[in-house]
Amino acid sequence: MRSFGDTNSLIKNLSGEAGTGHARAGMPLDRALLLAVAVALALAIVLVFLLFGVSDALLATMRGGPFQHKVASALLIAAGGFFLVRNAARPDGGRLPVLALLPGVVLLALGGVTDASGLPVLGRSGVSVPICLIAIVAVSLPALALIIAAVRKGASTRPTAAGIAAGLLSGALGAAAYALACKNDGGLFVAVWDSVGILIVAALGGAIGRRALAW
Amino acid sequence: MDSREDLWADAMRAERRGDVAAYERLLGDIAEMLRRLIRGRFARLGWGGDDTEDLVQEVLIALHTKRHTWDADRPFLPWLYAIARYKLADAARRLRREARYRRDITPEHWATLFDTPTDDFDRAIGEIGRHLNALPSGQRDVVQALAIDGTTVRATAQKLKTSEGAVRVTLHRALQRLTAAASRDESSNSRGKR
Repeated sequence: MRSFGDTNSLIKNLSGEAGTGHARAGMPLDRALLLAVAVALALAIVLVFLLFGVSDALLATMRGGPFQHKVASALLIAAGGFFLVRNAARPDGGRLPVLALLPGVVLLALGGVTDASGLPVLGRSGVSVPICLIAIVAVSLPALALIIAAVRKGASTRPTAAGIAAGLLSGALGAAAYALACKNDGGLFVAVWDSVGILIVAALGGAIGRRALAW
Repeated sequence: MDSREDLWADAMRAERRGDVAAYERLLGDIAEMLRRLIRGRFARLGWGGDDTEDLVQEVLIALHTKRHTWDADRPFLPWLYAIARYKLADAARRLRREARYRRDITPEHWATLFDTPTDDFDRAIGEIGRHLNALPSGQRDVVQALAIDGTTVRATAQKLKTSEGAVRVTLHRALQRLTAAASRDESSNSRGKR
């Protein structure tokens, strides 16, 4: 049990450090987050090329509708995830803007619902699903590490939620990057397995954030 | 308009300019508010007020170490309350665990209270080492410095690059842990003899 006197001497000590907080703080949270996202996306793209090589048909693929749809919906989800992370990383962030995820999710789902390609939901071959999931999770991991490191610059008072949000964001970045190598263009395939991949990374983020973001 | 929000947000801005007096006043005011709030809460939960100052200090240290994350363009109170809530929820979980442990002390344990210290001294020393090693490294460093090397709180704080208040809080926690571990040992020993 401690007394007022102790608290008063603590206050004396702490107040002696007035004015030194900003010097130690380094980069503000928002800038750190944006930087982390940019580096994370670049890293994910490099990883995709390292793991799957650069295909000769890359330019043709990138001009195609399926590719653009995959990238657009993944980046929209990432944008929503960014707002979630940003709010979850600060104590006064208020309620999480979960609706920010909606545009991306709707666009992704639309691709599934309007899928007229006739391609099977399990992909072109038996290994499509495992390859897709493993690839998305793998290229998302560096992103997750970077984004969680950036969130630590803030003062999250809900570490698990912040971790899940960071996972959604990095999973979406990973999914966008993997579109460069993904050979499955079926809208339904993409809607289902991109979502599952992103959710796996989100769960991972929650588990990691729970410990790494607590203070 | 001199609401608490305005006054405290101003003081936070003054802190950033290095205004020691304003920051000291602010911390004092916040401590007072926390004290009242925590006491009320404890009374409702049926706990004593023993840990109040611990919790007040814990929140103050949290506020201090994270003060740069407050955005001066946003209201200060929501930020402060969220941090206080977070730290107090943590502490409440810990206290609940400790309370459960205290309740678990059996009558047998109290009965053997006066007949244990016949064991050899060397083993006791070994036990202390073992318990020390089980502490988190931050707590171990502080106990090592204060209790074994005999350095002052101030010197320890400087060596570990933290504040004296933080050293005191850490020591207090380490001692609680050690006490808990020691009595756990004793009760399992006495159960073993039976």
